[in-house]
Amino acid sequence: MTAERRYHQDCNAALRELEDITLLYHRASGQTHMVISPVPEILEALGDRPATATEVHARLERRYDLGEPEQVIAEIEAHLAGLVALGVVRGA
Amino acid sequence: MRHQLSLKIGPASFRIGSAWREPIELLTKLYADYPQTSDEVSDFTVRLEPTSLLRRWVRPSIFITGDHGLADAAPMSLSHGLLAAEMGMNLQMALGWRRHLLLHASSVEKDGRALVMTGESGSGKSTLAAQLGERGWRLMGDEFALLDLVTGAVFPFPRLVSLKNGAIDVIAGEAPAERMGPLLAGTAKGDIRHLAPRADAVTRMEEGVRPALLLFPRFGHAEAVRLVGQGEVFMRLTQASTNYVALGEAGFGALTRFVQDVPARAIDFPSGEAAIALVERLWEELG
Repeated sequence: MTAERRYHQDCNAALRELEDITLLYHRASGQTHMVISPVPEILEALGDRPATATEVHARLERRYDLGEPEQVIAEIEAHLAGLVALGVVRGA
Repeated sequence: MRHQLSLKIGPASFRIGSAWREPIELLTKLYADYPQTSDEVSDFTVRLEPTSLLRRWVRPSIFITGDHGLADAAPMSLSHGLLAAEMGMNLQMALGWRRHLLLHASSVEKDGRALVMTGESGSGKSTLAAQLGERGWRLMGDEFALLDLVTGAVFPFPRLVSLKNGAIDVIAGEAPAERMGPLLAGTAKGDIRHLAPRADAVTRMEEGVRPALLLFPRFGHAEAVRLVGQGEVFMRLTQASTNYVALGEAGFGALTRFVQDVPARAIDFPSGEAAIALVERLWEELG
């Protein structure tokens, strides 16, 4: 079995919450992204501690009622992959 | 250049040079109350040049150029020289200004607070600002609102108001003839006539104020007021800013602060009178 991929946040981003959306300014690229739940929650859970999708799930589970773990972990993994594509998160 | 004028509009100084006398004469008359800056270094240079040597005399045709240029700016006829100079100043500002976040918006001030209005060309934002400017509000600008990157205050850029088509008669009925420029018929944007702002708009053009209300006006529809969510406001304002990307994180900080602090409404109105009544009512409701 291959080891789960670990992720860490590119700390070069600024988050600003508006009423209905969260803005993410990526300093390295100068790009602004508009993100909605669960992306801000995933980024917060990731914080400055590198983690796998399973570990992010464990951190989120303490605060949110998430449902079926296997499905949720797959969703978190997909979001993390999307954030890697934006350059906001990197594979450790 | 053969004919020149240097003047200050809000925080920006311009040197306008022209191969012909007429545009500079018109500008000098309409900008008579603005500070002249002949000995200082200008922020921007605008040049009105003939498209070819011959075209200075034979069916004169103007090419706008300056510090910042657009490759596809079409030449204009000399009779539209005033418009060419105004477009040139807007272009330099839009492409080159970095000291404020530039919002393509009109703004007016009352009670030490600013009302900012943004929308597409034809939305009525410019006419509405001009009308309010004739009725007790201080006109801060009809084209650009300058958002201070540190304090969040809105600063004026009160250049001539560019009135188009139907708006010309509306404002000509309220403003004295000596503050109106000549009718420029048949330009690419239709008929255009310029309005010089009232004296208070010019003497107070360095005074910034706190923004208190943002409106997205839309002329020609049944009267309606709609709340606009912060996400939509942010998106629309990034589209309305010519230098948001260039300013980087300073622009991000200024714009998010504006969006979080300033209430926003989209307003539809069937006429200028309805719009003014609506604006005054919304302003009263702010308390």
